[in-house]
Amino acid sequence: MEAWSYRLAVVDIESQLNGLVRNGHSVASLGDLIAWAQGNSVWPATFGLACCAIEMMHGASSRFDMDRFGWGLFRASPRQADVLIIPGTLCNKMAVALRQTYDQMAERKYVISMGSCANGGGYYHDSYSVVRGCDRIVPVDIYVPGCPPTAEALIYGIIQLMMKIKHEQQWQEDRL
Amino acid sequence: MAGRSTMSLGNLKKVLPNLIKKDQLICEISAKKTLEVASILQQQGFDYLLDLCVVDYLCYGVSQWDTQGSTQGFSRAQVQPVLDESDWRGSRFVVVCHFLSLAKKERLRLKISLDDDLTMPSLTNIWPCANWYEREAFDLFGVLFTDHPNLNRILTDYGFVGHPMRKDFPQIGHVELRYDGETESCVYEPVTIEARVSVPKVVRKDNRYVENE
Repeated sequence: MEAWSYRLAVVDIESQLNGLVRNGHSVASLGDLIAWAQGNSVWPATFGLACCAIEMMHGASSRFDMDRFGWGLFRASPRQADVLIIPGTLCNKMAVALRQTYDQMAERKYVISMGSCANGGGYYHDSYSVVRGCDRIVPVDIYVPGCPPTAEALIYGIIQLMMKIKHEQQWQEDRL
Repeated sequence: MAGRSTMSLGNLKKVLPNLIKKDQLICEISAKKTLEVASILQQQGFDYLLDLCVVDYLCYGVSQWDTQGSTQGFSRAQVQPVLDESDWRGSRFVVVCHFLSLAKKERLRLKISLDDDLTMPSLTNIWPCANWYEREAFDLFGVLFTDHPNLNRILTDYGFVGHPMRKDFPQIGHVELRYDGETESCVYEPVTIEARVSVPKVVRKDNRYVENE
């Protein structure tokens, strides 16, 4: 297609779309629509490990209310979950169970590492029984710092991950 | 308080000769006499085993724990403990049990010095709640309880080697864990970090020393 005819086609589509919008419809690309829906309905797996889990519960309950973002439905089964929030110290004994939980989640799965211990061992970095960062076990998307992070900090991390899900293409391009 | 039926110390002292009373009743015995003393305590109404724990007296009193003089900080992260400087001459491991008599409102501390074989009879037949305490003592210190119904590790990782609460166990341990993508399993590897002694912020020169200088 030559340039002028391509331009004409775009103008044609645009005028059609404008007609749709004028008639009360809204228009989006299918990929954007799916990403928007996915980012706004992410179910975390219940995986409380330590004191960070208390802050996570605060984030989920009425004051901060993660459900505003569609993130509030904690699933007891990893098969129904989209994101694995790792809130707390990951011990050697728990690491295998964590990896199993991660492996059981369906694809398009994300991991939030919450708090110093999950990020890199934290206070227990020198311990004989603690994994020095949960990224030694599972790939991590978002790290939330703090000891423990406040519920606001977790929600900030959640929004970051939501942006990543909604703008996956842009995210990948920015990374490259 | 008047009317309270406290335990007669004299009667208890007749059956337990090496009983002393400091802040509370303390009885120090050797591991061989455990069952004998335990049955006496049970007869005397100590029906409640509050706690069972172990003390490791290795490098007891060594100056690394002295916050005034230490420049190294205090930590268990030392690789080789200093043995010669300790002035402790008792046995290395002492099992400490705390008992409560609910009827007579009396508490008693029983200190059991272990021999080098680290063996003592289990108390589970008399106080069933000793079961998990003893498993914990076995797990973390390696104390062996004979006639225990299920002497397994209770806290540490499956297949863990060593007894981590012993003073000569390095804090960083011997292995660390990571997920191996090739075998798709979690694998143990020799520990890669260095043992270190964390130096806390201690105020060494405060107003207490102003007059001396």
